[in-house]
Amino acid sequence: MEFSLSRHEHKPLQVNPIKHSQPMGATLAFLGVKDCMPLMHGAQGCASYTKVFFTRHFNEPIAVRNTSVSDITAVLDGGDYSILMAIENIQSKEKNLKPSMIGLHTTGLTETKGDDVRGVGMHIEIPYVFVNTPDYEGGMESGWSLTVTAMIEQITEAATGIKPNKLVLLPHLSMQPIEIEKLKCFCEDFGFETYALPDLSTSLDGYWEEGQGKLSNGGITVEQIRDLATSSVVVSLGASMKKSALALQKKNPLIEHLHFDHVMGLEGCDNFVSALMKIRHSEPKPLIKRWRARLQDAMLDSHFLIGTSHFVITGEPDMLSGMCALIRSVGGTITAAVSTTFSDVLHTIEAENVFVGDLEDAERFFEGADMVISNFHAERILHSVENTALVIRGFPNYEELGNQLKNDQLYEGSTYFLFEIANELRKVKHEH
Amino acid sequence: MVSRAKIKELMNESACSHSKEKKPGEGCDKPKPGLAAGGCAFDGAQISLFPYSDAIHLVHGPQTCLGASWETRETKTSYPGRDHTQMGFTTGITTNDVIFGGDKRLDASIDYIMENYRPEAIFVYSTCVTALVGDDIDMTCKRASEKHGIPVVPVHAAGFVGSKNLGSRLAGEAVLEHLIGTKEPEKTTPYDINLIGDYNVTGDMWQYLPIFEKIGIRILSSLSGDGRVGDIRMAHRAKLNVIVCAKSLITLTRKMEEQYGIPWISVSFYGKRDTSFAIREIVNALGSPELIARAEAVIAEEEAALEVKLAPYKALFSGKKAVLNTGGNKAWSIASGLQDLGIEVVATSVAKSTQDDIDKAREYLGENGVLMTKPASEQGKIIDSTGAHILLAGGRSLYTAIKKKISFIDVNQEKKTSYGGYGGLLNLAEDLKYAFRNPVFANVGKPAPWEM
Repeated sequence: MEFSLSRHEHKPLQVNPIKHSQPMGATLAFLGVKDCMPLMHGAQGCASYTKVFFTRHFNEPIAVRNTSVSDITAVLDGGDYSILMAIENIQSKEKNLKPSMIGLHTTGLTETKGDDVRGVGMHIEIPYVFVNTPDYEGGMESGWSLTVTAMIEQITEAATGIKPNKLVLLPHLSMQPIEIEKLKCFCEDFGFETYALPDLSTSLDGYWEEGQGKLSNGGITVEQIRDLATSSVVVSLGASMKKSALALQKKNPLIEHLHFDHVMGLEGCDNFVSALMKIRHSEPKPLIKRWRARLQDAMLDSHFLIGTSHFVITGEPDMLSGMCALIRSVGGTITAAVSTTFSDVLHTIEAENVFVGDLEDAERFFEGADMVISNFHAERILHSVENTALVIRGFPNYEELGNQLKNDQLYEGSTYFLFEIANELRKVKHEH
Repeated sequence: MVSRAKIKELMNESACSHSKEKKPGEGCDKPKPGLAAGGCAFDGAQISLFPYSDAIHLVHGPQTCLGASWETRETKTSYPGRDHTQMGFTTGITTNDVIFGGDKRLDASIDYIMENYRPEAIFVYSTCVTALVGDDIDMTCKRASEKHGIPVVPVHAAGFVGSKNLGSRLAGEAVLEHLIGTKEPEKTTPYDINLIGDYNVTGDMWQYLPIFEKIGIRILSSLSGDGRVGDIRMAHRAKLNVIVCAKSLITLTRKMEEQYGIPWISVSFYGKRDTSFAIREIVNALGSPELIARAEAVIAEEEAALEVKLAPYKALFSGKKAVLNTGGNKAWSIASGLQDLGIEVVATSVAKSTQDDIDKAREYLGENGVLMTKPASEQGKIIDSTGAHILLAGGRSLYTAIKKKISFIDVNQEKKTSYGGYGGLLNLAEDLKYAFRNPVFANVGKPAPWEM
């Protein structure tokens, strides 16, 4: 079978899929808003699967509700009945629950029947954001970015002035909570008052406290989202987030937009630092410079192991773009980069094969690879392949612990990532 | 397509004990918008059939249904071929299929599977979207079955028809309609049984199957733990249906009794008493005095061997009290296991239990045991008043254990070892030993320096 980069599928089905759905990305985005109640509009299973998926990945309670559309409401209801019923039922059962916002996201089922979810907001007093996320279109990454755009369009108030040095980060789906925290700190070190939308760094970061997980735990507040158009800079991280940044600029054309496909590796992070320096007219703090030097050292230390190795990498487009760039920067050969969905950013990836596919496709390249970087599903398949190492990244990782604290971004994260893969490679390449 | 009449019939199962208390036609509870938790009908159907590792399970729907659910259950198999239970197959329909129908894609997917995997059978699951747009899955399956010469079974359990439990029932219907009775066994014995509803999660079945073999009970087929499609096709020749911890498949066994005259019993294999009781129920139902005598000998032998191995644990657990907060049949089955280890179960939750489960819980805990209906608010007080040493509950209750400085086991976490049968009791004992010994729950709750 020939694998080439195309919007068209090369087979009628997916075998061992890596792609996840739009509504799941939407749920996760809403979980980055403080006290939000993500409400999935579909059959109860859609939300139940999503809940289990993220619970097992993050080892945290996941607050997501659903409208449990039945076969009867599927035919008779135009949409608002089951949504309003759901909100009413939740409120009458849990009177003390005070959601800051209801994050309604649709599914394939409710999109097929063509529900009008827009009107619901007029009937309730709680701030309401809706997003259309059919799971027969796009993937988890696009579901996340559509939700960020929807929050900006529906909650953020237009502004005419800007607050100097106020910066908002729009991170792509695959960034784990600690990565968002590191990015925020990085910008704060440059003197920016920094926000992230969504902000998982304080909601799914494994912080231990008493809580039943009925609403999302931490994250950016609704008030802060409302006020985002007073930012002087919006930074979109990942190609999928560009549109969200443009939506914010529409609320206030004075906002400066910086875009980075990724901030991994020396070049990716240098670009980011240059842009921040230009705005602030100042050099980075000493520790940032120190980490750059450590990354240089890590690149030299690891280049022999990585430079003589072949990689197969699977994941969401924005994650692939950063990871492949970092590995290429120290000479690694990428035999195949297998993406969940199509994105233009895939054209920028330097690999022998870049295509949209599943693990059945990726498996064809496992035999000759020294390392596979994939979600946990690759682990069982690799049991039958000798001398191929595995590093688990992307959603889901049901088996390993501490996923929320894995940091691959900026100078610091890239340094640790290079050492991690080099050490794993050592186990398969030199142990005989 | 599944008819409303069929759903109504399944929701009003006469063999369910709770049906007696409901008004005619009222049936099982339907999911309420906003409050429904747990899986949908598709989820239930998939769980019930997925362990057939010689078949391929093709989910005809959009991405969420399979993308988020494959390789999530440790359903072990001894199948020597490629283990399809840990693989995921989906048509992953796109906008085009929603507009023009997904039949062609389904047909092509089945061809692809036959060309590349050659399974013994294919189960095709409809989902909300493909049911709503009206894909003719029955016709596609029928044609594919004729073309490829293997059973291609449509499973009509789209998520929106109801809960997980209903989905299991619908899976049972599909098996009954398309598989059972389509093949004859080469030989039969008077001691052939079907195991219904044990999915062999973490290898639970393998804890008791060697004992069956010793006694001379033969497993003709399984639905569906470590099962084979070829075997379930011969299930109509069994002498007895044995339901293991799964109320949802009662409809199937009742219908098999009506159609093939196969009686059924319902048992559980958690703990020593339940395991011995289950074996006795099975041999009594099979009715051969010789078999019964052999079973008694094996039970005596197994129990004696187990007692020797349990002795050190019992010494360790003597005087320990436990509070149990979990749902369904676990409310009494785990309680039974704990009691077998000499631990006093002072309270268990019946918040999500059926009347059957509540009665059983009362029987196991005795008059003084507390049956909690609001466990979240009750368990803390009960730990205080009884001086319980351990809380077995879901992750959300962890905070209670830390506040009360007692040990904790997350019973809802995906298990890695089996607690089934006699051998599983030793695994449970081992886990409890480490839980009692672990200081983490007291350590982690210590106040921070700035809180002193």
